[in-house]
Amino acid sequence: MSKHVVVIGAGIAGLEAASVLDSMGHSITLIEKEDTPGGHVDRWHELFPNRRPGREVLEMLYEKLRDSIQFQYGKEITSIKPFSGKFIVTASDGWVTNADAVLMATGFDLFDARKKEEYGYGIYDHVITSADLEDIFRQGEGLNPRLGKAPQRIGFVHCVGSRDEKAGNIYCSKVCCVTAVKQAIEIKELYSAVEVYCFYMDLRMFGRHYEELYKEAQEKYNIQFIRGRLSEASENRQGGVVVKVEDTLLGKPLKITMDLLVLMSGMVAPPGIVKMRNKLGLTKEEDGFLSPLDAHARPNESEVPGLFMAGTSSGPKTITDTLNDARSAALAIDKYLEE
Amino acid sequence: MGELYNILSQDVRFVESLKACINCGTCTAICPAAEFYIYDPRTIATTVQTQEDDKIIELLESETIWYCGECMSCKTRCPRGNAPGLLVIALRALSQDLGYFTESEKGRQQLALKRAIGEKILSHGYCINPESIAPELHPEQGPVWEWEMEHIHEVMEKLGANYQGDGAGALRKIPQSDLDEIHRIFEVTGGMDRFERLEEFSKIKAGEMGVEFGEGMDNDYFRMIYTTNNQTHTRE
Amino acid sequence: MKADGKKLVWKDYQKDIAEDHYFYARSCIRQNFFPGSEKAFTRILRDELGKDLCDNQHHTSCTGIGYHTDVVPFETTMTVVARQFALMNEAGYENYIASCITSFGLYTEIIETWKHFPETLEKTREFLFRATGREFTIPKNLAHASDVIYKFRNEIAAKARYRLVDKNTGLPLKVVEHIGCHYSKMFPHKGVGGAEYPYVLVGMIEAWGGEVIDYPERRHCCGFGFRQYAVQANRGFSIACSKKKFDSMEAYEPDLIITNCPGCPMFLDRWQYALSEMEGKTYGKNNRGIPVFTYEEVAGLVLGYDPWKLGLQVHQVPAEPLLDKIGIPYDPEAKFKGPNGEELGRPEAPSILKFYQE
Repeated sequence: MSKHVVVIGAGIAGLEAASVLDSMGHSITLIEKEDTPGGHVDRWHELFPNRRPGREVLEMLYEKLRDSIQFQYGKEITSIKPFSGKFIVTASDGWVTNADAVLMATGFDLFDARKKEEYGYGIYDHVITSADLEDIFRQGEGLNPRLGKAPQRIGFVHCVGSRDEKAGNIYCSKVCCVTAVKQAIEIKELYSAVEVYCFYMDLRMFGRHYEELYKEAQEKYNIQFIRGRLSEASENRQGGVVVKVEDTLLGKPLKITMDLLVLMSGMVAPPGIVKMRNKLGLTKEEDGFLSPLDAHARPNESEVPGLFMAGTSSGPKTITDTLNDARSAALAIDKYLEE
Repeated sequence: MGELYNILSQDVRFVESLKACINCGTCTAICPAAEFYIYDPRTIATTVQTQEDDKIIELLESETIWYCGECMSCKTRCPRGNAPGLLVIALRALSQDLGYFTESEKGRQQLALKRAIGEKILSHGYCINPESIAPELHPEQGPVWEWEMEHIHEVMEKLGANYQGDGAGALRKIPQSDLDEIHRIFEVTGGMDRFERLEEFSKIKAGEMGVEFGEGMDNDYFRMIYTTNNQTHTRE
Repeated sequence: MKADGKKLVWKDYQKDIAEDHYFYARSCIRQNFFPGSEKAFTRILRDELGKDLCDNQHHTSCTGIGYHTDVVPFETTMTVVARQFALMNEAGYENYIASCITSFGLYTEIIETWKHFPETLEKTREFLFRATGREFTIPKNLAHASDVIYKFRNEIAAKARYRLVDKNTGLPLKVVEHIGCHYSKMFPHKGVGGAEYPYVLVGMIEAWGGEVIDYPERRHCCGFGFRQYAVQANRGFSIACSKKKFDSMEAYEPDLIITNCPGCPMFLDRWQYALSEMEGKTYGKNNRGIPVFTYEEVAGLVLGYDPWKLGLQVHQVPAEPLLDKIGIPYDPEAKFKGPNGEELGRPEAPSILKFYQE
């Protein structure tokens, strides 16, 4: 007898897990709060480390979706109630269904860069986030429309909203460093004469080919890496962004004017999910993300039998890690449903 | 853990100021003293973090800890919730109480501050009064201040102050009974002790340096510490 | 710049400021350099706003400058502050106003310390009792004097006879606002508007018709630095900080600077004079400098108080060009006269900064 699995979130984790579970013969309902699937990856122009278009990954996932999967768009889940070995899942518009298992593929929110007040996002005209920059890359018109001219100097600020007590998040968001290196290269390809600076605390080039990307950024593109966390950005009369940072390797404070400042916004747990986590009585961890029952042995299970997690809902991950995690979750759910 | 680090840990300002520094440089980036002086508040945090006595003594004897202007711009920004400015306050307290302050040109200035400001609190109940800002010692105050000092009573009256008067108002004469209370507070809380140490350690240093030591501001040692600047402190 | 973005920030940093019945603690520096401002504060609160303000004769310096020049130990400062609170209790008040920004920062720091390290509170009680026999409770509400003027800025605007507007063009004056470091850098939530975009002075300026200038070095310390100014050998630091600010704001052509700290208006005023003598450079148009004011001076001006009672004559950078711009009348002959019209001579004019109305 096929069981009913509700997958919450039609980002890449939800899409992949849904496909796998569907191919195993289970009945899947995939619920998404936006009107279209794709999650954050839909917003990315090219992916690290090999610059593959984000769209390509999504197309691969969409192609695997069969008609057997039920899609529900524009519905935000407001409650998951365990009931007699099953779950009652309710959405914001009153829509309700029963499930034998629930998969939280609810992903992450981008850190709201306005909270880092000293960087002036939302106040100074030429301060944008890394996500905004991806939008600009996808539009294909470069920076001239926004800046009114070709940029001469651009700065990337690592760790915005991450590793920061004042922002309320002490953890590292993992993917921002390599994203900054990638975006710095993309900028240089658009504007070969532009000076590009990356202001970092540590350069987290942990993945395969990341270190090579960093080396390329230095050797081929002459991108300047300054080890210092940005303290402040302010705006001058011409709309330029004046930044203050210490070059800690030289032990000197610097003041530099940029045409554009890009803030590498980190990942945060969506507030709605934090609330739901509390309502379900799941383990509370300070970073707000869902906690697996055992990080090594049971990475997709929660304390509530039948309630699973996949992707960035349980912490910052790369796209490849997320897809692997989604497949792992599908396996775990299938095993659970058999018992 | 070194002994000095242990003593520092008793100071609440220290406890508030240092909880693991990651060397990110946000503090130095925004520090006005780092712009002007050869100064890097980040390194103070990382040095103290080693907990090693000899490194801490080096700090207490150095010019470094006297460059900070205690504006606390660092505290606003640090991602780990540290505050080099508060750490500096704790180090300065220790440096004075143990006598290391006389080893540095800027540290020796503490005696001048004790005599100019500290004693004024005890004698008048204010940190400064008009006599503190003698135009000869403060030419930057300008000709208007000079004029004002010449006519201090009239100007103060015109501006609604109660200069040296009884009762309430600006620059009033604070009653002796209140000053006595302040004095006793200084006695029981270690304030007088700090003042005495500043005098004693400075006197010894003056002897070592062969400079005439005396009370008040009219002596060579005071003049030396108030005005000497060996011109090696600032960045180009 | 999207000014609306700042409004979102300001919403997060609202502050509870008491309505009435204040215990006023004066400022060492302001009593010396800006007594007219403190007088204006008491006048505005009592006469214009009908508030009950206790001006106690027994309170002393909070020792803030002594603390921040590191000659006064923390325990001593905490106990002196406790004594101030005891005086407030004795006078029957629970809302404390600090006239000085360093004091305000210090009171806030001490109250937080007592909260997080209760043993320090116990020790302070013990010390205070041993030294003076006094006991104290922590104020129910602690505010800075600028918070109070901010709170009643609209009432002041309603009574105002003048606005921060150029009378010839009808355009708002361009105002640089400078916030004392110890107002909100240590505890952003204790300041109106927080640490990055403080609103306490912006609110006043907007209510009184002016336009606020934001410039890159807005948040930079004026350079007081306590020991950096107090000891002559260190003063270069202090003037360099102010110079940074002047160089940054110059291109925006501000008409005036308003600050809410005791030291800042004094430094921003005097260092313009010193820079003119040292480097031959003045800021503002026609070698007149950019006049610097306390917020009480500006409140007093818009309310129509006599500039020479407010104390504008003891500024080194003359205020007359601005008064002319707004259309505030004043008697140039009375500027340097005594309280009963006595002739007191005049200060020497500086060599470069234009001094008298010419």
